[in-house]
Amino acid sequence: MDERTENVPSPRGELHGREKQAVTQETTRSGPVFRPDVDIVERADDFLVTADVPGVRAEGLTIRLEEGVLSIDAVSAAEPDPAWTPVHAEYRIGGWHRRFVLPDRVDAERIGAEMKEGVLELVLPKLAKHRPRRIEVRAQ
Amino acid sequence: MALYGSTHRAGMDPWALLDRVRREMDAAWPGLAARSPVAANVYPPVNLYDHGDEFILTAEVPGVRHEDLEITIEANRIALRGERKIDYPLEPGTNVHRRERESGFFRRAFEFPVPVDAEKAEAVCRDGILRVRLPKAASHRPRQITVNAA
Repeated sequence: MDERTENVPSPRGELHGREKQAVTQETTRSGPVFRPDVDIVERADDFLVTADVPGVRAEGLTIRLEEGVLSIDAVSAAEPDPAWTPVHAEYRIGGWHRRFVLPDRVDAERIGAEMKEGVLELVLPKLAKHRPRRIEVRAQ
Repeated sequence: MALYGSTHRAGMDPWALLDRVRREMDAAWPGLAARSPVAANVYPPVNLYDHGDEFILTAEVPGVRHEDLEITIEANRIALRGERKIDYPLEPGTNVHRRERESGFFRRAFEFPVPVDAEKAEAVCRDGILRVRLPKAASHRPRQITVNAA
């Protein structure tokens, strides 16, 4: 392998990574719980919340909405085999937890969730009356 | 510093350079303290395990498509490289409230204390976790010797 080729800087940004941040919370679950990185994007008709929760499958995910607070709880299905001897460790394995206060304009009844490649995508539609309206201007 | 010459430009923080060297050199295997995670500023974070006849590498790569991940194994070295892409439909009226997830290129390399059998290595990416099984080269597998009765 050619080392020089290997180390040529990437034309675009290089990922640096951050250590997982543990959260303390009031659940009875054992083991560490981490705070997932999230993106929140507001579109015309909805909010898109994306969270990195590697190791989580749909069945390990709990999404709750209580009094305007949306909480995401997830458990990892990617536990190492106990027969494996760790020789180098850069990340810990555990659950995920994060909560958000939702704006009033979210339609709580129609929140959608999808898991893909360890990424949770939540779509929070806005209530109809809060959606932008386009007013046609008629020529006289 | 030929290897890192291209990054050692004027004004670059020497600590950032050192950190980058550390990231790219990665595992100096026998000296590593296992069990306590050591990572800061690495992507993706990797765990390595010894399972008798094979090594296991796992990495957290949420949102990385398998076609954007490249694994090269040679002798006792494994290199991972790839790209994490984040594409939002940014139509007019889109407003970004929070942006914590990073996109970009990554590259890691690890050396094992014994050669591995590249032909028999297998990699699977599921739920954002990469798992690579690297069988040790036959001559380096632990052997159990049966003691025969005299």
